[in-house]
Amino acid sequence: MIKAILVFNNHGKPRLSKFYQYFNEDMQQQIIKETFQLVSKRDDNVCNFLEGGSLIGGSDYKLIYRHYATLYFVFCVDSSESELGILDLIQVFVETLDKCFENVCELDLIFHADAAHQVLDELVMGGMVLQTNMADILCRLQEQNKMQKAEAGISAAPARAVSAVKSMNLPQQLRDMKLPDLPQAIKDLKF
Amino acid sequence: MPAVRGDGMRGLAVFISDIRNCKSKEAEIKRINKELANIRSKFKGDKTLDGYQKKKYVCKLLFIFLLGHDIDFGHMEAVNLLSSNKYSEKQIGYLFISVLVNTNSDLIKLIIQSIKNDLQSRNPIHVNLALQCIANIGSKDMAEAFGTEIPKLLVSGDTMDVVKQSAALCLLRLFRKSPEIIPGGEWTSRIIHLLNDPHMGVVTAATSLIDALVKKNPDEYKGCVTLAVARLSRIVTASYTDLQDYTYYFVPAPWLSVKLLRLLQNYTPPSEEPGVRGRLSECLETIFNKAQEPPKSKKVQHSNAKNAVLFEAISLIIHNDSEPNLLVRACNQLGQFLSNRETNLRYLALESMCHLATSEFSHEAVKKHQEVVILSMKMEKDVSVRQQAVDLLYAMCDKTNAEEIVQEMLAYLETADYSIREEMVLKVAILAEKYATDFTWYVDVILNLIRIAGDYVSEEVWYRVIQIVINREEVQGYAAKTVFEALQAPTCHENMVKVGGYILGEFGNLIAGDTRSSPQVQFELLHSKYHLCSVATRALLLSTYIKLVNLFPEIKNRVQEVFRADSNLRSADVELQQRASEYLQLSIVASSDVLATVLEEMPAFPERESSILAVLKKKKPGRIPDDVRESKSPQPTAIPAAITNATTNNTNSSSADLLGLSTPPGTTAPPSGNGLLDVLGDLYTTPKISPSTVQQNNIKKFLFKNNGVLFENDLIQIGVKSEFRQNLGRIGLFYGNKTQFPIQNVRPELHWTDLLKLNVQMKPMEPVLDAGAQIQQMLTAECIEDFTDTPSMSVSFVYNNVPQKITMKLPLTLNKFFEPTEMNGESFFARWKNLGGEQQRAQKIFKAQGSIDLSATRTKLAGFGMQLLDGIDPNPDNFVCAGIVHTRVQQVGCLMRLEPNKQAQMYRLTIRSSKESVSQEICNLLADQF
Repeated sequence: MIKAILVFNNHGKPRLSKFYQYFNEDMQQQIIKETFQLVSKRDDNVCNFLEGGSLIGGSDYKLIYRHYATLYFVFCVDSSESELGILDLIQVFVETLDKCFENVCELDLIFHADAAHQVLDELVMGGMVLQTNMADILCRLQEQNKMQKAEAGISAAPARAVSAVKSMNLPQQLRDMKLPDLPQAIKDLKF
Repeated sequence: MPAVRGDGMRGLAVFISDIRNCKSKEAEIKRINKELANIRSKFKGDKTLDGYQKKKYVCKLLFIFLLGHDIDFGHMEAVNLLSSNKYSEKQIGYLFISVLVNTNSDLIKLIIQSIKNDLQSRNPIHVNLALQCIANIGSKDMAEAFGTEIPKLLVSGDTMDVVKQSAALCLLRLFRKSPEIIPGGEWTSRIIHLLNDPHMGVVTAATSLIDALVKKNPDEYKGCVTLAVARLSRIVTASYTDLQDYTYYFVPAPWLSVKLLRLLQNYTPPSEEPGVRGRLSECLETIFNKAQEPPKSKKVQHSNAKNAVLFEAISLIIHNDSEPNLLVRACNQLGQFLSNRETNLRYLALESMCHLATSEFSHEAVKKHQEVVILSMKMEKDVSVRQQAVDLLYAMCDKTNAEEIVQEMLAYLETADYSIREEMVLKVAILAEKYATDFTWYVDVILNLIRIAGDYVSEEVWYRVIQIVINREEVQGYAAKTVFEALQAPTCHENMVKVGGYILGEFGNLIAGDTRSSPQVQFELLHSKYHLCSVATRALLLSTYIKLVNLFPEIKNRVQEVFRADSNLRSADVELQQRASEYLQLSIVASSDVLATVLEEMPAFPERESSILAVLKKKKPGRIPDDVRESKSPQPTAIPAAITNATTNNTNSSSADLLGLSTPPGTTAPPSGNGLLDVLGDLYTTPKISPSTVQQNNIKKFLFKNNGVLFENDLIQIGVKSEFRQNLGRIGLFYGNKTQFPIQNVRPELHWTDLLKLNVQMKPMEPVLDAGAQIQQMLTAECIEDFTDTPSMSVSFVYNNVPQKITMKLPLTLNKFFEPTEMNGESFFARWKNLGGEQQRAQKIFKAQGSIDLSATRTKLAGFGMQLLDGIDPNPDNFVCAGIVHTRVQQVGCLMRLEPNKQAQMYRLTIRSSKESVSQEICNLLADQF
């Protein structure tokens, strides 16, 4: 069973976290910190598995992770999961995000946390692998988006018009934002 | 492709960039607090928010939560979003709840109705949102509310595949929380047959569910084996184009294959159906064959997926442990991986090989890779891989290669990572002891250990070398000579001084003939280290000195001088001061005869399990490839064999205490061959019902508690309060007069037969009990030996001129003298295994009183006096406990296991202890109590 899925950047800032076992907020932050410390000090060419930190359950749990550009994707699992299987699952997750966001980058996870969760929920449910077939996942997400669009079409038109006017200056704003190390998109990595 | 980004929420984007632009933590917190205040006022305000706004604010809250700030509002808004008709709003509501709401929250009750509605929706996307939410929260409330609907959803013919898939996992989650949710009977076969579902996603989810169900009730779901093998066979023989979407980088359905192979590991190989077995072997062969084919893609995903299946197949082969050719093939395949350039594969190969090494069939094959493994230990860049290599070397070690492996490990220890040194030291010490044919080699190894990694040599390790030297006459001279030489190094580790001091104190005389190691030289050599050592070591050395006085009277004056030195006789440390002054007096006052008697050579230590092994097990539960080999091989473990000249029954505890070791309960028993197998063996195969013991019921309830009302009628009430420590107990009886008249001539009397085993003293009490008054009487009890007869007490008194007499049993049973003992799974099973003898076990199978209520049973057991150990038994319904019965003459370690069988409404109770009568009595006490 998957106990937690954590995504954080090279500085340990959490970008996405999902716990399938209850921990209180404080504990969740502690676990993210601990996991970051364990994972970030490892070289890139060492193996992708390590024993879990003490907070998440110690040596009964494994951390399986991948490092893409600025982000770490870490799955904390118990002994009932296959290490390589989870490694592939992370790959499926990232590839799906990549398809959804057209070259996903760290900022997408920040600004579209809801969409990222949506993808994750299609992949993993209650700590178990739900769907591994990317085509299926994408197809479902598409359906959901269609529904959203359709709804937005009927009732949100006025709101969208207002928002469109308001955001006229947005490109300028976006340029003004200071984004340290705007991450090289994940596409640069070879799949 | 649909771009999820695009129509974002502007307010959210601005807020997030604000946060990201904050220069300091304070600024960030300030900005967040401002936003929280804003959202709060929006939520509280009169203006009703539209869906878009609600969604925006909830997203903001989620972001704030991700940054690690507490969110204590917004829950109600999220709950409202759930009942929205719009998907986008509903979805955000669900998201908020699954991220932020915990299982115990009161909110759960509020959302159950919304979830129910969505579950009945005709839109599968809504149904899935509901299922997601149930699975993510997965609480008891959820199980109660949806326990009937979800199974229906799962097996109904109308349900769409996407929903079925989610329903399976949702049910699994709820089943973990409340196992009773799965209806038995015809459902079993319907659930099993999901393995035949045409949709691969449904099969994958169903396999996870069935795996959990099987773990709970293997027999009921036995039918899944045939179906799983058939499915697996169809997948592995499929070409990668057959399964279309479920082919991942040219590998057909890797996740499902892995799951099916895992599922099969719950059963022993299907022997009764040779067809199934043959088919499974074919599958496994095919997987191996495919592994040898040239890769269809250079991508790492291809090899990962292929190897995930392969490793799982190997796990299954190891689990089945029945087909020698497959085992050897697995070993060869893993051998190839050992030199693969992928670190992940090397890591996993080492890990799997560790398990292979424990199988009789493949142990030899594993040994062929020894060279490569040693290289891995030395050369790997990754410490976790090196660690695996060390584990594997430990597992593959046997008599034939022990010397080489130990030598290599010692050599590596000098440069080993700090994080694994301590464990390595323990492993080297154990291997050296276990496989020593020549104990001089053992002594050399341990002294080398201390020399190389003294800081990591724990007390247990050097205690052990001393125990062994003392128990084996033939190495004593060699040991004395070797430590003497080792001590001559200009710097030597304090642990070396301890071992040296102890051994020279005992056996210094064996080398005193040589002028180079004459008594004076020995003493001066030891004493030259004295001032550099810690207090504990100095104390040990002082004992050595007085022992030397006994061995060599000629150095008496010199030693006395040392004792007299201010730094000892007036030492600030009370222990040193005491030792110095007492030893000094002893050396002055005692005649040589007395001295010789007092300071006699240490008697041999009793046989016992190596304390080092216990430490290693404690350190790394699960990490040690269990000594399965030992339990299979006919020869007894090396440890008892090693100490052949030990006097078996000599439990001279004073000698043990000097070393600071306390005898672990129960480990003195001889290990039995298949104890562990027995523990895990077939349950409930011999249901014999013992006749219920006839005892007064009111006393039985005091088995589980110490306070309460012992007796009550219209006239008098007798309450009891008791406390126990070690083998002593204090019982307070409270006599209350319930009437309007005095009760006179109150005269309690005690009766019991086991006078020699249990000592009970009663304090005198006032003979008159005034109307409505209460008086107290104290009793003290001491358990001398384990006893069976519960003392009874008769109280005679006169009420209204009529003499009365009542009789009752005192709440004084053997279990009151338990001391709970905490231990982990490893040591529990090690002890359990050790206590496998016919004389040590007691077992009863009895019918449950009423229906089985696990939480009530748990409460009762908690009051029984033993330590309830959770998470040890593979079956979570079973209870295991451990405790030590304290009596004056001995302490008896006692283990208990209680296995409820819900189908039969029976319990099986097993007690194991090092004393037959204790096992029997504890078993009798507990039988029929649940």
